[in-house]
Amino acid sequence: MTSRMRWLHWINWPGLLIMGLFAGAWEAAVRWSLLDYQYLPAPSAIAPGARTLLTSGELIPNVLHTVLVTLIGWSVASAIGIALGLLLGLCPTAYRYSMTSFEVTKAIPPITFVPATLLIFGFSLRMELVIVVYVGVWPVLINTIGGVRGVQVELLDVARMLRMSRHDRVRKLIVPAAIPEIMVGVRLALSLCLVLAVVAEMVGNPAGVGHALVLAQQALQPEKMFAYVLSAGVLGITFNAVFRSAAAWILPSPASGRGGGSP
Amino acid sequence: MDPPLTGEWSRGRLTVTAATAAGPNRAHRQDGWDQAKITKRKTWAPRLRGLLPLVMLLSVWELAGSPGSPFFPPPSTWGSALIGLWENGALVAAVVATLTTFCIGLGIATVLGAVLGLVVGGSPGADRAMSPTFEFARAMPPAAMVPIATLLLGYDETMKVTVVTLAAIWAILLNTRAGVRRIDQTLLDAARSLQLGTVQRIRKVIAPALLPAVFLGVRVAAPIAVVITLLVEILTHLEGVGALIAQSQRTFQPARVYALIVVAGALSLLVNGVLGVVESYVFRYRPGKAGRSE
Repeated sequence: MTSRMRWLHWINWPGLLIMGLFAGAWEAAVRWSLLDYQYLPAPSAIAPGARTLLTSGELIPNVLHTVLVTLIGWSVASAIGIALGLLLGLCPTAYRYSMTSFEVTKAIPPITFVPATLLIFGFSLRMELVIVVYVGVWPVLINTIGGVRGVQVELLDVARMLRMSRHDRVRKLIVPAAIPEIMVGVRLALSLCLVLAVVAEMVGNPAGVGHALVLAQQALQPEKMFAYVLSAGVLGITFNAVFRSAAAWILPSPASGRGGGSP
Repeated sequence: MDPPLTGEWSRGRLTVTAATAAGPNRAHRQDGWDQAKITKRKTWAPRLRGLLPLVMLLSVWELAGSPGSPFFPPPSTWGSALIGLWENGALVAAVVATLTTFCIGLGIATVLGAVLGLVVGGSPGADRAMSPTFEFARAMPPAAMVPIATLLLGYDETMKVTVVTLAAIWAILLNTRAGVRRIDQTLLDAARSLQLGTVQRIRKVIAPALLPAVFLGVRVAAPIAVVITLLVEILTHLEGVGALIAQSQRTFQPARVYALIVVAGALSLLVNGVLGVVESYVFRYRPGKAGRSE
């Protein structure tokens, strides 16, 4: 079999067919008004909507804003989460004297802090960044603590046998062993940061994809709205894919942050 | 004289620890984890000790904050704000509305997710055919779905439940699918040799074998459902705790906002606790408990 044929075989034809069928059924239902929804655009109407957004130069700045805020917030959150997680994971006293506090705080759905930050920071970029950083810290923190504390006892025994200093033990053994789990946390944080950035834009900061989405809804422009929702979804998929391939490229295979898949 | 070893599966790998009292292990492991890891004493003191930073933060807040602060009203004012909400009945109505949406949404998501997961997990063909559609739908951020849902379905309970269901279904679907794939072939062989019909086979063999996987999915989905319920309420101002928070924020009542954040936290702890109790009741005969990997 030639490589070209194999490539054809690799495509998920039934999957694409089902997706096409869904789109076709949707299109037909709207065309022949089988569905009684006033504001449901046909898939064929969404594409021109997206095109006008692109040509009018409205889509790119909004997407760029959301991407930038997400990435900045995510980097800050990862740094805080890893630093705090290492501290709590490596220092039993710190863990004992603070873990319940973290558990209680973590139980509060971060979404409820959106109105509070709105109150404190007003309709501003700062408000959006604070929310994005806050929500991103949690998975990184929890996974870093879990990774550090979950290091196999055998490894620690090896360290003892080699008479490693505490510094060496942390640097050469515990942190590398914890990296796969930390990467899972960092990956989960990325998608959470994106979602909360969109939410913060919808409620607070008047910029980015979230705000444009709400504007399109209020202006009763469903084609635009669907185009923005699609772009938010594409952003999520892209972030995840880029992160995975970057992680696989930078780190050897077992450390690339697979698994632990809940959104 | 070697201490007896016990094995414990955690995160899918076997950790062997020495099952002795703290004494010898303190020498064995010098970093202080030994006691927590091996004896697992269930006393309250260590847990309460962990509350110290939170208590300190709140006390400093209480002492330093001024009751009239528009941003950081001290915790004591939260209480009076909460009592005010309780007395005019808004709090109870909001909590009931939020819990109703949450329960209906999670319930529908559980049934739909389990059925779809069963179909997709049972047939590789169906799995391959459906996976692009599922992946696509799963990637749509629930927050972004809210404006679409309001535009199509209007501002009502159906819309709330739809959004919550759409957000919560994936964890259950994926866990059920994984569970179906993990079913022991011997169980299915036994069902065949007993010549059970399809209904009987599902009812007596597959459903009990899948229950832990479905339950694990529900455990993962429940916090998501809570968050999305609150999110829908914040975005649409439909009745509920989220809407009450948003309303308090718009009318500049910071004490109320903080009090309601605490209420939301308590709600999510309650949901988690109830699920934990249900889990230990449903799986009381199983030595291994439901898969608690995540």
